[in-house]
Amino acid sequence: MTAQEVRLCGLLLQEHFGEVVEKVGTHLLKSGAQNLRTIIHETGLSVDLVKKSLCVLVQHGATTFSSGRKGPGSPTEYHTSCDRILRILRYPRYIYTAKTLYGDTGELIIEELLQRGHTTMSSTVKTVADRLTQNMAEGRTMDYTEVSLTFSKLVETHFLQRCPPLPGVGNKDSSAPSETPATPGTPAAPVNTAPPTPESFPECYKVPSVTLIGRGKRQLASEDGEEQRSAKRAKMDPETHGDEGIYWQVNFERFHLHFRDQTIISAVANKLDQTSSEIVRTMLRMSEVTTSPMATCTKPLSANEIFRSLPPSYNILRPILDQYLTLLVDDPMEFVGKAGESGGGMFVVNLHRALANLARATLESVVQERFGSRSARIFRLLLRKRHLEQKQVEDFAMIPAKEAKDMLYTLLSQNLVQLQEIPKTPDYAPSRTFYLYTVNQLPTARMLLQNCYKTVANLIERRLFETKESKRLLEKSQRIEAILASLQASGAEPEQLTEVEEMITAPEKQQLDTLRLHINKLDSAENQVDETIFLLESYINSTNASS
Amino acid sequence: MLTAANRATTRCWRSASPGVQVWRCSGSALTAERICVTHPSAMAAHGRGQRTLSFTMETVKGDAPPPSVQQPTPVFPVMEQKPLPLTGGEEAEYLLALKQDFRGAMRSLPCFIQPLVTNRDVERYSDKYNRSEQMDKLLDWAPDWKRFPRELRVHVRKPARDSVSAAVQSPPPPQMKKKGVKDKEEVLLKLESLEKKEEQETSEDEEGETKKKQEEEEAEGEEEYDEEEFEEETDYIMSYFDNGEDFGGDSDDNMDEAIY
Repeated sequence: MTAQEVRLCGLLLQEHFGEVVEKVGTHLLKSGAQNLRTIIHETGLSVDLVKKSLCVLVQHGATTFSSGRKGPGSPTEYHTSCDRILRILRYPRYIYTAKTLYGDTGELIIEELLQRGHTTMSSTVKTVADRLTQNMAEGRTMDYTEVSLTFSKLVETHFLQRCPPLPGVGNKDSSAPSETPATPGTPAAPVNTAPPTPESFPECYKVPSVTLIGRGKRQLASEDGEEQRSAKRAKMDPETHGDEGIYWQVNFERFHLHFRDQTIISAVANKLDQTSSEIVRTMLRMSEVTTSPMATCTKPLSANEIFRSLPPSYNILRPILDQYLTLLVDDPMEFVGKAGESGGGMFVVNLHRALANLARATLESVVQERFGSRSARIFRLLLRKRHLEQKQVEDFAMIPAKEAKDMLYTLLSQNLVQLQEIPKTPDYAPSRTFYLYTVNQLPTARMLLQNCYKTVANLIERRLFETKESKRLLEKSQRIEAILASLQASGAEPEQLTEVEEMITAPEKQQLDTLRLHINKLDSAENQVDETIFLLESYINSTNASS
Repeated sequence: MLTAANRATTRCWRSASPGVQVWRCSGSALTAERICVTHPSAMAAHGRGQRTLSFTMETVKGDAPPPSVQQPTPVFPVMEQKPLPLTGGEEAEYLLALKQDFRGAMRSLPCFIQPLVTNRDVERYSDKYNRSEQMDKLLDWAPDWKRFPRELRVHVRKPARDSVSAAVQSPPPPQMKKKGVKDKEEVLLKLESLEKKEEQETSEDEEGETKKKQEEEEAEGEEEYDEEEFEEETDYIMSYFDNGEDFGGDSDDNMDEAIY
């Protein structure tokens, strides 16, 4: 929970949930787990607002509550973590992935769930069907069963999961599905300090049998239609569909695994060629179900199996496949490794090593873009050779001494390179001490990750600043658009429309265009920085898991 | 920047010249090592812990130490290398559109909480209607209270506009009994504030109703006047104006009485 993370989380909460939730959220982030009274007292907000904000945060999974530290009698404590809030940056990517995999229906389901946090299957299906019906041609409506089918597919492939039932609050007794499946022998469950993960419950991915029969409703433009609809809705709400109390949430980890696979495949395609990437894609697809999320590499696959599972459009010969596999194994990026000789050769995809190499490539490109290609050469040299003296750096990098010294000192001041002293004598006499330059990949990656968080926070702040500067102009243009829309709806003449359009003068229009361009650029930049954040986070998490 | 070398607590070997001691400054970030040649007593104020003494190859070789920097780095430093342009393409544009749509959609959802900003510089007529809009938004969202701790439950009551009796709807008594002993004070405070709110709302509603009635009466009264006025389309109310046609036409015959 570094200062940069807290700052970024605050900005994200402010943009998506409002300033009240931002205040409560940042307070919880900075001060750890607290109970309700302390939060009310320290933030100085009204009781109702604090309660509502906590509800919103819990609803979206950003905050968890548990009974207090002093035992079951003490007031409930609320704990917020940065990770969940930082995911908000990645929402567009999740929605886009769902679109590529499951079409528009999948896209809208994921969008609904991301907007609402935790919802039931029936309400999601209804809302999504209505939205799809809106966009369809006149007279056609979306059937609920189609949407339910897509929902079930998302659950089967683990992109959606059930929200874990709460241990203490509510009707469920504590002897319900064990929170630690690894220790089935313990009769009395001790007080859990860590909250149970959703995956530890056996029914995590089970689709409930829901009776949902109907079609999406199109929102009618006339007043009478709306009244009828709201009357109908009031009648429909008490209807139960058999899945009360079962709430679903998006399974971010599964999306992350998918992104990781995509990154590896595209890296192979960039480095080698399309066919190699297809082979790696096949291998990853085959091991999707058998690989655990924290695994270092996939289960070994024999070359025969790979050959049989290749997509039919790629009819390459068996010896060619063997050559490709050998090429992949020999590649210095170590994406694919050989695990044995049986079955024509057993091959694995080295997931953690691939992530480490991709992170290394990211660091190298950062140095290259900031300091130039010669500094990047020095950096890569130090990554390969670990420890080098200054003289050796100059020789290996083939850079004149003075420039090499300058570059090394610049990198040193930016903390990308570290200096290690090795004394020859017990007194650290400078003339008798080795000074070695070195690069540590993991701490450098962590530092760059914090820089990325700071970057995104700066981008958001700049965007808010630009919007605030031109607030008056934006409001004016919004009003004019509203007028235009209403005029067009009521069927006006083109002269009237042009007259309204001319209310915005030409320089104002230009100003609006530049503003639109800037905001789009800043938003787009946030998306791209998030890709780097994902890569560095995955690398750091993979080292945590294996260590 | 403090590198690993700076933090290492290494002892310096006294240099050949006894008078001058070379210390390393911490805190300036621009170039690699900052060597300040100062009198030892001047460094006493910094404390013993910051004395990291080591020479670098530079001083051993006899180059002049670079000048130390006295001010923080500029906010927008000049970049030697221009950054790469953003990757465009269909996917990036679609992601951008998704992001902006999502942000816009979140603003209209009930989970976007904004406090009631009371701009009481001038009391506006629309305040009455704006307040009710915000209350509707709060009511829209009814989460499953079983999934939340009991203390977070907020009872939002609809403001009574139709009848005064509806305003008497207090939170149902069984809820009060469920609260524990510790929350009694909270409950009392809340009850008081709720009562005050009720009184305010009922009084406001009564005022609103009476105001409405007054306005209606005035409107009716004005209509009668309006008919008279608009006959001749003048600004003046006709009954007050005497256009002098009667003057001098009454009694031309009897000039007994003087006319003033």
